[in-house]
Amino acid sequence: MNGALTFIAFLPGLCALTLLFEKNPKVIRWLTLFVTSFELAICLLLYWLCWHGIFSGRTLFKIDHPWIARFGIHYALMMDGISLPLVTLTALLFALSVLVSWRQINERVSLFHIMLLFLETGIMGVFLSADLFLFYLFWEIMLIPMFFLIGVFGHGRRVYSAVKFFVFTITGSLFMLLSIIGVYIIHGRETGVYDFMLQDLAHTSASPMLSGILFLGFLMGFAVKVPLFPLHTWLPDAHTDAPTAGSVILAGLLLKTGAYGLIRVAFPLFPQAAAAFLPLIFTISVIGIFYAAWIAFAQKDMKRLIAYSSVSHLAYVILGIAVWNDVSLAGSVLQMVNHGITTGALFIMIGMMDERMHTRDISAYGGLWNRAPVMSAFFLFFILSSLGLPGLNNFAGEFLILTGVFRAHPWLCAAGFAGMVTTLIYLLSLAQKILFGPAKEYHGFNDLSGRELAVLIPLAALVVFIGIYPSAVLKLLDAPIRNMVNTATISSVGGVLP
Amino acid sequence: MTLADLHNLIPYMLLSMGACFLLLVGAFMRKPGPWALNILGAIIALAAGVSAICIQPSRAEIGNLLTYDAFGRFFTAASSFMACISLLFASGYSTRRPIGGEEFPSLALFAAFGMSLLASSTSLLGVFLGLESMSLSLYVMLAANKSDPLSGEAGLKYLIVGAISTAFFAYGLALIYADSGTLSLADSVSALSGGAGAAKISGIGLAGWAMLIVGLGFKTSLFPFHLWAPDVYQGGPAPTVGFISTASKASVFAVFLKFTGAVGAPWSELSHVLWVMAALTMVFGNIAALTQNNIKRLLAYSSIAQMGYVLVALIAAPESGQSSAIFYLVAYAAMELCAFGAISSFSGKDGELGDIRELRGAGFKYPLRSAALSIALVSLAGLPPTAGFIAKFGIFYSAMNSGYVWLSITGILTAIVSVYYYLRVVVYLYMRGGEKIEKAAVFPAADIPSGIALAALSITVVYLGIFPGKLLSLIASIARLAV
Repeated sequence: MNGALTFIAFLPGLCALTLLFEKNPKVIRWLTLFVTSFELAICLLLYWLCWHGIFSGRTLFKIDHPWIARFGIHYALMMDGISLPLVTLTALLFALSVLVSWRQINERVSLFHIMLLFLETGIMGVFLSADLFLFYLFWEIMLIPMFFLIGVFGHGRRVYSAVKFFVFTITGSLFMLLSIIGVYIIHGRETGVYDFMLQDLAHTSASPMLSGILFLGFLMGFAVKVPLFPLHTWLPDAHTDAPTAGSVILAGLLLKTGAYGLIRVAFPLFPQAAAAFLPLIFTISVIGIFYAAWIAFAQKDMKRLIAYSSVSHLAYVILGIAVWNDVSLAGSVLQMVNHGITTGALFIMIGMMDERMHTRDISAYGGLWNRAPVMSAFFLFFILSSLGLPGLNNFAGEFLILTGVFRAHPWLCAAGFAGMVTTLIYLLSLAQKILFGPAKEYHGFNDLSGRELAVLIPLAALVVFIGIYPSAVLKLLDAPIRNMVNTATISSVGGVLP
Repeated sequence: MTLADLHNLIPYMLLSMGACFLLLVGAFMRKPGPWALNILGAIIALAAGVSAICIQPSRAEIGNLLTYDAFGRFFTAASSFMACISLLFASGYSTRRPIGGEEFPSLALFAAFGMSLLASSTSLLGVFLGLESMSLSLYVMLAANKSDPLSGEAGLKYLIVGAISTAFFAYGLALIYADSGTLSLADSVSALSGGAGAAKISGIGLAGWAMLIVGLGFKTSLFPFHLWAPDVYQGGPAPTVGFISTASKASVFAVFLKFTGAVGAPWSELSHVLWVMAALTMVFGNIAALTQNNIKRLLAYSSIAQMGYVLVALIAAPESGQSSAIFYLVAYAAMELCAFGAISSFSGKDGELGDIRELRGAGFKYPLRSAALSIALVSLAGLPPTAGFIAKFGIFYSAMNSGYVWLSITGILTAIVSVYYYLRVVVYLYMRGGEKIEKAAVFPAADIPSGIALAALSITVVYLGIFPGKLLSLIASIARLAV
C-alpha cells in the first residue's frame, strides 16, 4: 500500500500531461472530474481502512528512496494521521472545484484543468513529504499553477493580484530556503550525515541564537502562506480576483499548507526557538483575530469579507499550534479541515450568486430568501457553521483549540472567546443583509441546479457529521499528535504572558 | 606530437577543420541556402561534442599547452553542444533575416574551438589563444546582419570592449610572467595562493592577476565591467547573442575555475575583491532588469545577475563551490539558450522581437514556443521543478557552507527581485490582452530545427530539475580535476 502515496501525489500531475493534447472542452472536463474523483475514492478508501485500524501506528504509510545522492536528498513520502485528513480534504475540494467551474470556465479550458491538476499534485506533495527538500520543492510547485489560475482566469485586477500573491509567497519561501540549507549544514556537520529527512533534522542542536534565526526563516515562509497578521495583505486581493475554484483551493487548502508546515516542520525542528518566539506569535495571532474581524465587517464585497474571515479563523489555528499541547493541536488540525469545508462552501456559494447576478457587492442583494429559498438556506447554514454554532463542525474545532489554550494561558483563551463574538457580528450581518430585508430585483435568478446541489450537499453533510461526531477525524490525530507533543516540548517562556 | 595525440585532438580538429570545410562548401556550392549550411555546421558541432565525450585520452598533456582531462573534455563537449543548438536556431533565423551564408556557421565552429581551447589549456598562453580565437569570431557573428545598423553597432561595441579586455589580459599575462617566470597555469596560480614551494607573490604579480580578472570580468560581464552587455544583446542577432551569453561566458568561467581549482583555499588576496564584485553584480543586474521593456535588454541584465551567482559559487570554491558553479553554468546554458531560441524564432523579416508588450496574447496563439520561453524564464527565476532551482540551491548551499552567509542573503534578496521581472514576461505572454487571440502580434511560423532545439532544451531544463543526480555526480568527479 505504500506505493499508494506516490500514486496519490503524482496521478493528477501525470494526467495533466495527457490533457495537453486534448482540445474538446467536454472531454477535458469529464476527464479531470474522473481523475479527481478517482483520487478522492482512493483517499476515502485509505481513510476508511485507517479509521478501522487496519493500518495503524505513528506513520501509516511511508516510502523512502534515495533521489539526489550528491546532496543526500531522498524521495520520501509519509502519511500519518495528521496528513490523511488533509489529503482527503484536498481530494474532495479538487473534485468539487472541477464541478464548480463546469459552467464558469468556457475559454482555455485545457489550460485551466491542467493547472488545477498540477496544483493538486503540489498540495498533495506538501502534505505527504517526509524530506525537507522535497517538501520545499512541492511548496514552490504550488505557486505557478495558482498564479495562472488567478492571472488568466480571474477577474478584476487579476494580474495585479496574481503577481502580488506570487511575490509575497516567494519572498517568504526563499527565506525559508536559506533556513533549510542552514539546518542541513548544521545537521551534516554535527552528525556527518548530510540529509534532509525531517525525522533526522529534528535532533539538531544549534545554538539558541542560530536556531532562532533559522526558525524565523521558516516562520516567514509559513506565516505568509497562513497568512499571519502583518503579512496577510495579499490574501484579500487574491481571493477577490480569483475564479471560484481558485478561491476555494486558496482558502480551503493553500492556507492550510502554511499551518501544516508550522506543525510538521518549524515547531518540531526548533522547539526551543519556537518557545522563545511564542510571545510574538501569540501577539500577532490575537491582533489578527480582532483586526481581520474588524476589517471584514467593513467590506462591501462578499468574497473579500470571507477572505478576511479566513485570516481571523486561521489565527485561531495558529494559536492552537503555538500552545502545542495535545488538545489544542488536535483542535487546530480539526479546525484546518473544518475551515476548508466551510469556507470552501461559502466561496462556492458566492461564486454561484456571482454567476447569476454578475456582482458580489453586498448591497446589490437583499431578501434573497424569498427568491431562492434553498440557496439561502444553504448559505445561512454555512454561515452558522463558520461562526461556530454548537453541533456544527467549526464549534468542535474551536472549542478544542480554546480548551487547549486555556490549560496553558487562560487570558489568551479569554481573548479568543472575545474574538468569536466579533466573528458573530460580521457574519450575521452578512447573512442579514443578503438573505433578509426588502427584496431586491432579481432577473432570471434560479434556485440551485442539480449540479450545484451535488456540490453543496456533501459539504453540508460533512459539516453536520464532523459537528456531531468529531472523532471521525480526532481518532486518527490522536497517535501522531501525542507523539509530536512528547518528542518536542515547547516550554513557554515566562514573564510576558501568564 | 604522435599519432596518439592526434587521436586525442579529434574534437578540436573536427571543430577547426569543420569550420574550414564549411567555408569551402560555401565557396564552391552556391546552391544550398544559408539554412542548410547552418544545419551542416550544427551536425559538425554535434559530432565534435559527442567525440569529446566518447574518446578516452591516451595522454595527459599535449605540448605543455593542452590537457585532455575530464574537465577539458566536459567543457569542450558543452561548448560544442551550445554551438550546435545556436546553429539550429540560426538555421531558421537565416531564412528570415540576412546573417550571411557560410561564414556564420564557420565562425561559430571557430568560436567553439576557441572555447574548447580555453577550458583545456594548461598554460596562460593557451588561455590567451583560446580567448582571442573565440572573441574574434564573436565580433563578426554579432555584426553578421549587414542590413541592420543595430547589429553593426553591437559588433563594434563588443569589439572595442573586447579589445580593451584583451589589452588588460595581455598586460596581466606579461606581469605574471615577469613575476613568476612561468606561464604554466598551475605554477603561477600556486604562487598566488602562496602554495607549497612557491615564493610569496609580489606586488607586480598581484597587479597582473588583478588585470587578468579585469579581462575575464569584461568577458563574463561582471560588475563593473558589464556596461557593454545591454547594447550588445539588444543589437546582435538572437542566435549569436544566445551563443555569446552562454558558451563564451561558460568557457571563461572554466578558466576562473582552473584558477580556483589549483589552490587549496580561496585565493586569500583576491577573494575580498571578488566578494564585492559578486554582490554588486547580483544587485545591479537584478535591479536594472526591473525597468527594461526590451526583452533582450532584460535578458542582458538578467544574465549579468546570473553571472553574479556563479561568482558566488567560485568564491566559495574549492570545498563544494566548483561543482555548484559548473552545474549552474550547465543549467544556465540550457535555459538561456532556450530563451534566446524562442526570441530568435519569434523574430521575423521586419525586425527582432523587442518590446515585451509585443508578446501580448502570444501564449495562446503560439503555445509551444511560449511554453518553452516560459519554462526558460521560470528556470532563470530559480523556481522548481526546473534546473534553475537545483542550480540556485547548489550555489546557496556552497556559499553558506563556506561561511559566506551575507553573500547568500544578498543572493536571496536579489533573487526575489528577479522573480518580478521574469514573471512580467510570463504575464504578457498569458495574462494581458489574452482574451483576443486575433489581436496578438503576428510572428513567423516555427521552423523545424528551432522547434527541435527548443523542445530538447526545455525538456533538459525540466529533466535536470527533477533528476539532477547523475549530472551532479559527474560534475563532482570532474571538478576535482579543474587543473
